[in-house]
Amino acid sequence: MRTATHNLSVAGVIAAKDLRAELRGRQAVTSTLFLAAVTMLIFGFALGPDEDRLAVAGPGLLWLAIILSGILAVGRLHHLETDDGAFELLGLYPISRTGIYLGKALGGLAAMLVIGALVLPLTVILFAVDVASAVPGLLLVIALGSIGFAAVGTLYAGLTVRLRAREVLLPLLLLPVVAPLLLAAVSATALLLAGDPFGELPAWLQLLAGYDLAMLLAGGLTYGLALEE
Amino acid sequence: MPPTTIHVRPTGVPDKTTPGVETRDLARLFRRSPALAGVTIQVVSGRAVAILGANGAGKTTLLRVLATALRPSYGSAAVDGIDVADRPEEIRPRVAFLPHATGLYDDLTAAENLGFAAALMNVPAPDREDRVGAALERVHLTTERDSRVGRFSAGMRRRLALGRILLGHPRLVLLDEPYAALDAEGMALVDELLDEWRSNGATVLVATHATERLGERMDGWMRLENGLVVDLGGVGVIGRVAARPATDLPASPPLAAGFRS
Repeated sequence: MRTATHNLSVAGVIAAKDLRAELRGRQAVTSTLFLAAVTMLIFGFALGPDEDRLAVAGPGLLWLAIILSGILAVGRLHHLETDDGAFELLGLYPISRTGIYLGKALGGLAAMLVIGALVLPLTVILFAVDVASAVPGLLLVIALGSIGFAAVGTLYAGLTVRLRAREVLLPLLLLPVVAPLLLAAVSATALLLAGDPFGELPAWLQLLAGYDLAMLLAGGLTYGLALEE
Repeated sequence: MPPTTIHVRPTGVPDKTTPGVETRDLARLFRRSPALAGVTIQVVSGRAVAILGANGAGKTTLLRVLATALRPSYGSAAVDGIDVADRPEEIRPRVAFLPHATGLYDDLTAAENLGFAAALMNVPAPDREDRVGAALERVHLTTERDSRVGRFSAGMRRRLALGRILLGHPRLVLLDEPYAALDAEGMALVDELLDEWRSNGATVLVATHATERLGERMDGWMRLENGLVVDLGGVGVIGRVAARPATDLPASPPLAAGFRS
């Protein structure tokens, strides 16, 4: 219990610091949100005015925008630590590695939820998707998908942050690992928008929740390796 | 050519207490290349020791191993009798490390940077603001309290990093080139802090080229070359000397010389 409280307290301090620094820096926030919006706009224009095509493509494009921006967000939260050697010092405080991991993941999750909050209305507008009856379910899917992505993205961002080719390596390593998450998130989103005629949604939600738990556990146990040289 | 030794504080017989720092055949490799190649030393608790040596001699690596930032590749290192590889979590609350990079966040203010450090150093929340204020005052940055660190000069960043150490009560202080980038006022501050840490009973290790500046603030010294201790002197530090350099060395204090093996 005491360990859990300590980890959550450390996580809160680190996430608050990251978000404050990111909001002050502005360039990163702007570029991340801009990438999400541009992705949606480009595909919207490319698919043309056919509402059926747009509605079919909507769930995939929603997640494409979230994941691409999420890669930028989790990477950026680690680059903050390397500007002046802060990552090494972070590992020298008398705090648990799990707390540091959870803090970084929490910061990444917050960034992804903001991105999701921007992209969802864009999807409605650009892809003629009727979400009126599915909003709570969509929010749940976005939350579960973002937790899983932040969990695994934070781990890989930590492991690659000291490498020179980190910008290339992070998406290369990350995308295969998030494939099940993407499959589940896109499928669940599409089912929600279609009204889930065959009752398949709970299975995808269970997969998402299971993925989240597995990745959080793996990250909490192994993130310490990232802090060691 | 850097000085091969420094004049140390003339003190009495060496202490016979628990070593503040102890290493045995400590080696650290980077891609099979040894930065430390078998260092065996003991630094007596409460003593201040300078680590001398040219660039690449292994000074920073030794400090990073003791700070638990690096694991030893071979051999062992201990702080207050606690092994750095086995129980690093017990060592971290005891150690303060000033690395060459200051580890500050440009987009946070000076007070926010110290507040973040204080929170992670487990300073109780009600005390944090006072502790941060006192540290800023001590390093002469009170007027810059709410300025973002990204606008600071290298010297100001160094002073703020020193302020971070003042938030805690370390038993071992590790300083990597503490005078780097500092003006006369900043250097005087380092001198004051060194005296203060020593008088508080902390063990202090300083890796530096500024041997003239350190002067008699140090109890002892050791010189590294290619990852090995090639000479040491003063009191408070004993160890295995790998090889004597060919240069003419000033006579070391006899007590320290007697402890070489």
